[in-house]
Amino acid sequence: MNVLIVLWKEIVDNLRDRQTVFYALLFGPILLPLIIGGGLVASLKQATVSFDQPAALAVSHAERAPILMEFLYSNNFDIETAPPEKENSVRRGDVALILEIPEDFATSLRDGQPAPLTIFVNDGDKHSAKEARKLNSVLNAYSQTINALRMQHRGIDPSVFNSINVRLEDVSSDGFRGQILASILPFLLIVAMVMGGFYLAIDTTAGERERLSLEPLLSLPIARYKLVLGKYLAVLFFVGISSVLTAVSLYLVFRFLSPEAAGGILSFDAPTITTAWLLASPLIFFISAVLMTVAATTRSTKEAQTYLGLLMVFPMAPFFILQFVNIKSANLTMTLPMLSQYQLLERVVLKDSINATHIGLSVAGTSLSAALLYYLAVRLYSREKVL
Amino acid sequence: MIVAHELSKTFIGVPGQAKRRVVAVESVSFNAEDGRITGLLGPNGAGKSTTLRMLATLVQPDSGNATIDGHSINKDVLAVRQHLGFMPHNAGIYPRLTTRENISYYARLCGLNKKTTATRVEELVDLLDMEKFADRRTTGFSQGQKTKVALARALVHRPQTILLDEPTNGLDVMATRGLREIIRQLAQSGHCIVFSSHIMQEVAALCDEIAIISDGNISMTGTLDSLLNTTGQSSLEDAFVRAIGGEL
Repeated sequence: MNVLIVLWKEIVDNLRDRQTVFYALLFGPILLPLIIGGGLVASLKQATVSFDQPAALAVSHAERAPILMEFLYSNNFDIETAPPEKENSVRRGDVALILEIPEDFATSLRDGQPAPLTIFVNDGDKHSAKEARKLNSVLNAYSQTINALRMQHRGIDPSVFNSINVRLEDVSSDGFRGQILASILPFLLIVAMVMGGFYLAIDTTAGERERLSLEPLLSLPIARYKLVLGKYLAVLFFVGISSVLTAVSLYLVFRFLSPEAAGGILSFDAPTITTAWLLASPLIFFISAVLMTVAATTRSTKEAQTYLGLLMVFPMAPFFILQFVNIKSANLTMTLPMLSQYQLLERVVLKDSINATHIGLSVAGTSLSAALLYYLAVRLYSREKVL
Repeated sequence: MIVAHELSKTFIGVPGQAKRRVVAVESVSFNAEDGRITGLLGPNGAGKSTTLRMLATLVQPDSGNATIDGHSINKDVLAVRQHLGFMPHNAGIYPRLTTRENISYYARLCGLNKKTTATRVEELVDLLDMEKFADRRTTGFSQGQKTKVALARALVHRPQTILLDEPTNGLDVMATRGLREIIRQLAQSGHCIVFSSHIMQEVAALCDEIAIISDGNISMTGTLDSLLNTTGQSSLEDAFVRAIGGEL
C-alpha cells in the first residue's frame, strides 16, 4: 500500500514538472523519432532510384531518335517535349532534366561513330541528380545493346570484350541502408527510455535531497525498501510510457516509408514493432534501475545530470559499434543488456530468424542486471550518507 | 517521553576535506518529559541537529541508546518513527504539491486511510490557520507558510513525541509568536516536545527544561531558574556562556 502511495505521489508530482513531461512524453517518444527516423526515411527516399515508377522525361528533338525514344518508353520514361529555354528551366527546377538529341545523332549512329547526346542536369538538386543517374543507366544499357549489334555485324563475338564478368551476390538479407534503418529502431527505443526516466530519477533522489525533503520522508514509519520500490516503479512507469509512445510514433513514421526504399527487406509493420518492443521490454526494468542507482549516488541534481548525461552515451555506443564492427550473435554477447537488444531488434526488423536461446539469454541477462542494480539502489538508500 | 543515554556519533570524511574524523556528538544524555517543552540550546555546529537526527532514527549512534516512549532507537526503528513527529530545520516540502497534498502524502504513508486522512488534514489546516493557502502549490510560499506545512506534516499521525529542529529560523516576529503559541498548546495537550535553537530569547520564552549543548557535549541541564541559580547569573545568555566554560 505504501509503495503505491509513493508511486502515485511521484507520478502526480512529476506530471506537474514541465521538464519531465517534455523529455519523457514529447522529446524522446515523438520529436526524436520524427527528426531522426523521419529524416532518415526522407533522405533514403530521395537517394533511392526507382526503376519501376514511370517518370516524365523532357526531351528536346525527340523526333531525331525514334528508336531510342521507344527504348526509353519501355524503361518507364514518359517522353515529353522539352521547354525551349533548356538551361534555365532545369536550373529553376521546372523540369528535373532535359535530354537533348543533337542534329548529327542519327548520322553518327548510322556511320558507326559515337553518337552524341546531351543531358542537362542540375547536380545541386538531389531530385535532378537522381533522375540523371537513372537516365544514365538506361542509356548505358541502350549503348551496350548497340555495341553488341555493331560487333556481331563485323563478325566479332561481343563477349570477347567482356573479359571479366563479375556477379555480386549479397547473401546478407540487409544492405548498408537496411543496416542503418534496422538499428534505428533499437536506438530510438533505448534513447527514449533513458530520456523518459532521466528527470524523474534525478527528481526523486538527488532532487529530493536538494529540496531537503528526503530527511523528513525517511523519518516516517515506512521501510526504506518500500520507499525505493515506490520511486523505482514511478521511474519504471515513465520509462515504460516513453517506450510505448516511441514504438507508436516509429510505426507511424515508417508507415510512410515505401518498401523499395529499404530494398523490400525491412519490415516496420505492427507485428514487427510489437515484437521488437516486447524483446526490448526487459530494458525498461534495467534502464530504470540504472537511472535510480546513479542518481542515488549523487549529492545534487547538477551532479546527477552530469553523471546521467555521460550515461546517455551508453545507449548510443552499441549503435555505432555495430555499424563498424561485425559482432556475431554469440551466446555471450546475448547476455549483455542493450547490446543484445540491439542485435535482436535488428534481426526482427530485417525479418531474420531469431534463436530462442538468444531471446532467453537476453531476457535473463538484462533482468538479472536490473535486479542487481535495484538491490544496489536500496543499499544506497539505506546508508546514512543518503541524507 | 525521551530518555537519551550517552549518545555518541563520529563522522568520517567530511565532503570537500581530507578524510578526517569529526566528533559530532559525545556522550549526550538527557530526559524530555511528556507535557513539557525541552530546549536544546547550543551554538551552530554544537551537535543539536545530529542529536535530533539520531533520535529520529535517520543516523545510527556509534554508541549509547535512547528510547522514545519506551521504544529503542537502535532496535525498534519503525515503532520509534510511529511515535515521533520530526520537523527538520528546513521545511523540505514538495513545491509542486499543494498544502493539502503535502500533508495527505505523509498521512497516507503513516498508514492513515483516505477518510481519516481527509479529516486529519482539515483539523491541521484549521489548527495552523492555513485555510487561505490550503489548495495552493507550495512553490513561492513564505518561510512562515512553509514551516506551517512542515509542522502539519510532522503532526499528521498524532505522534506523542515531537522533534523540532530550529523551527523559528527565518520566521518574522508575528509568525514566531504564532508558532510559539502552537507549541505551547501541543505541550499542554500532553505531547513531549524537544526544540532546538541557538536563540537565547526563544528558548527562555518557551522552554520548561533547557539542555545546553556545545562541542557535542551536554554541559548543563535544568529549568531556566535552576540554570541561573547554578551559574549565579541573571540572564540566560550569561548563564549559557558560563555553562560552556567561557569568560564573561
